[in-house]
Amino acid sequence: MTLAALQDTEIPDGALLVAYANGDRDAARILAGRLAPRTLAQAYRMLGDQAEAEDVTQEALIRLWRIAPEWRQDEAQVSTWLYRVTSNLCTDRLRRRKRSVGIDTIAEPESGAPSVAEEMQDRARHKALQEALSELPERQAQAVALRHLDGLGNPEIAEIMDISVEAVESLTARGKRALAALLAGRKAELGYENDH
Amino acid sequence: MTTEKPDMNDFELDEIFASARRATPEVRDDFMTRLLADAAMVQDEWSAPSVEKITEGGGLLTLVWSMLGGWAGTGGLAAAAITGLWIGIAPPDALSVIDDAIWGTSVDLTVFSSDDVLGVEG
Repeated sequence: MTLAALQDTEIPDGALLVAYANGDRDAARILAGRLAPRTLAQAYRMLGDQAEAEDVTQEALIRLWRIAPEWRQDEAQVSTWLYRVTSNLCTDRLRRRKRSVGIDTIAEPESGAPSVAEEMQDRARHKALQEALSELPERQAQAVALRHLDGLGNPEIAEIMDISVEAVESLTARGKRALAALLAGRKAELGYENDH
Repeated sequence: MTTEKPDMNDFELDEIFASARRATPEVRDDFMTRLLADAAMVQDEWSAPSVEKITEGGGLLTLVWSMLGGWAGTGGLAAAAITGLWIGIAPPDALSVIDDAIWGTSVDLTVFSSDDVLGVEG
């Protein structure tokens, strides 16, 4: 039986991963098509650099391919696992990154996108956020990113980080307070008119 | 006069997060090609024959077999020599298999290449 006969969207990630582990090449194609854009987006929101986001995505997926033979569908969701690995890889990169390295390779804006000035302001704010995130304790940075960059709910974050919901709430609250303090001196630069 | 800069408030911080959320990477074709190549490479590693792969799957008998060089290595050995080696190192529950082979019960043994277990037919 091959997966080619079934609709791509019908098959859960876990089942595809098991099929992949059994040598199915179609499974890899479908899984990569689903997972890579999501993972790349998560990494890009946190790191702000195309090349770094691609490196993280490639590393995360290689790890996924390698654990495929051990994958237990009843024990975990592939998306949870991938969020966790990607988050860890990103915070590793943030820690290693020096402030002077400001590689900013952002895709060309499509027509109809925000104006150039808005684009530049977004870039500056995104860069400032990455720098501030790199100053945070790793777990705070992860919780804040999963909540406010990836838009995940606290129960899902709790599962990804393997902690309680209360711990997630505590980490995100502390992380936000720390970010607010770290970014305090940059308001004017980031387009906030009044220091209020 | 120096005044301490006030922390960002929630609204300002939310705008910062919104800027980051608007950042979208490009999903490049050659990047996707690379990912699929990685996936295929990992699958190919699983199916590639190697001593390590054989020993991972097989256990003691296949370990000994691969150490002796497989068919190419053991072809020159008399069956009795192989039997002696096997008796010496195999776990006890394998001996009943050897007994059956020597005393005539038909058993499919991977070590032996022919029916001539005792080598009596030269």
